[in-house]
Amino acid sequence: METLAQSLVSGVLTGALYAMIGIGLTVVFGVMRIINLAHGEMVMLGMFGAFWGHTLWKLDPFVSILVWAPLMFLAGMLLYRFLLRKIMPGGELNTLLYTAGLSLLIANLALFAWTGDYRTISLSYGMTPVRPLGIAIAIPLAVAFVLAILVTVALWLFLSRTNLGRAIRATSQSAEAAVLMGIDVERVAMVTFGLGTALAAAAGVLLAPSLYLYPTVGELLIVKCFVIVVLGGLGSVPGAIAGGILLGVVESLGAVYVSSTYKDGIGFVLFLAVLLYRPSGLFGTGK
Amino acid sequence: MTRRLLPALLGVAVLTAIPLTVRNSFFLHVCILVLMWTVLGAAWNVLGGFAGQVSFGHAALFAVGAYTTIILYLKGGLAPWWGIPLGGLAAALVSVPIGLLCFRLRGPYFALATLAVAEIVKLVALNWESVTAGSVGYLITTLPPVRLLGVAVNWEGKPPFFVTAALLAVVALLLTGWLRSSRLGAYLVAIRENEDAAEAVGIDTVRAKVLTLALSAFLAGMGGGFYAFYFRYVDPDAVAGIGLSMEMVFIAVVGGLGTVGGPLIGAVFLTAVAELVRDRFQMGHLIFYGLFMMLVIRFMPEGIWGRVRRLTTRVRAGA
Repeated sequence: METLAQSLVSGVLTGALYAMIGIGLTVVFGVMRIINLAHGEMVMLGMFGAFWGHTLWKLDPFVSILVWAPLMFLAGMLLYRFLLRKIMPGGELNTLLYTAGLSLLIANLALFAWTGDYRTISLSYGMTPVRPLGIAIAIPLAVAFVLAILVTVALWLFLSRTNLGRAIRATSQSAEAAVLMGIDVERVAMVTFGLGTALAAAAGVLLAPSLYLYPTVGELLIVKCFVIVVLGGLGSVPGAIAGGILLGVVESLGAVYVSSTYKDGIGFVLFLAVLLYRPSGLFGTGK
Repeated sequence: MTRRLLPALLGVAVLTAIPLTVRNSFFLHVCILVLMWTVLGAAWNVLGGFAGQVSFGHAALFAVGAYTTIILYLKGGLAPWWGIPLGGLAAALVSVPIGLLCFRLRGPYFALATLAVAEIVKLVALNWESVTAGSVGYLITTLPPVRLLGVAVNWEGKPPFFVTAALLAVVALLLTGWLRSSRLGAYLVAIRENEDAAEAVGIDTVRAKVLTLALSAFLAGMGGGFYAFYFRYVDPDAVAGIGLSMEMVFIAVVGGLGTVGGPLIGAVFLTAVAELVRDRFQMGHLIFYGLFMMLVIRFMPEGIWGRVRRLTTRVRAGA
């Protein structure tokens, strides 16, 4: 019973962070119909940002999110404006392949600059877990969880309450209709891509104290991310949240009750099944 | 006809001259890699270039070929020159159920599904230890003694591998050439351009795509078999990683999608550049893969070979 509660809790905690990565990918897909294969590398850059901030300037990783998220927002917008925008008329497969190239480029530049060593961030408060009700929770993961929820709520308010947020959702529903309503779709796309990049990097910063970091970690994360967004339905933000938490829980339960070696496989089988039989996602909200 | 025959003869002449004259084993190593990647790029090109089905999971087929070849050799004593074609056949067999499953999806969704399939295959390779030896992998220590024209083949040198790789590359390019002028090839181009229209004119699109995937898998599996034979070591990370699937995509795209010579050109550019800068860029020698990929898609989406061909036809038409 205790094992069950323990693995449920750690599943939900990790799942919330997965969800945050997934939201970034799904928002970008919704507006631009791009599946951004370089999304995992944005998470990786966030992780390394946290690492270097901590090593060089003694900056707490959770504080450094205030630096890296805006920076990556800007980087994402520039990336869209100067690189991706010129590719998009070529069709969605071309864009997919382009982001594949971008992903390899970023990962290998990082390998070149930082080598393939595994690194960790050791925090003074990261050693002893808190134990409410006998369930051990690592403090960095708990802090990351709370911050992830705050970011997600803020994003939700932005999307539902502000004009720009409404424009993003409108473009996501129908780009043509949005243009006819006088929405500057180009600008919306640029902001959305910045937003997706910033979310990925922020999730990376939050994950950094709890994971090993190395330049090709994006490969692992992007695959998880696909599972999440497909489970929830591509383009759907609530779907990505549900998909993220579902994957986190399935992985942690699978590690305990099935086998730690096959736990990643459960996610993929689920992913294939959903793709084949419910392509609009488990909750039928995507498109 | 002479237009086709001339480059073919030239190619054969170069391929025979290289192992006879070149003594620099690093250069031969690069040539072998280029030829191996030509086979793999051609494998991907058949499906991705002609049929327009972007697969991110070809490493799975490569892995099936590599494992089949190495297991047949180590456990069954079957020499690699039998094992490589059998590896191709095994990959083709495995590809049929994968195709029947994944071809229900289109475009990016198909790409994601193949990615998941490849990850599942990798997990199976890691965990099915009685067959695949798990993460330990298989190692070939000695290759069987063979005499060719009365001379013992020296497996420690590069030339025998060069000849094998060259044969495989020629087979791959001939198959692609045959496909381009065949009925199936015409079906595939129709599917690539508009799948609904292709279906409407009576093409059995699923059958055409599954057949093509099997052909593509046969080539990828033989590439995997050759890899096992040349590097003499197979483990899940080496033969079933996402990186491998992506490299095949890159070579086909950079060379020129849906062309016969494209994969060769792509392999020459990417593999040669990556190997030549490996000294200076110990860690990130794939930087150039990414960079070339982005440049090609931005400035010549038809690929290097596609662009060259268009320019030459224009010159010929103008003259």
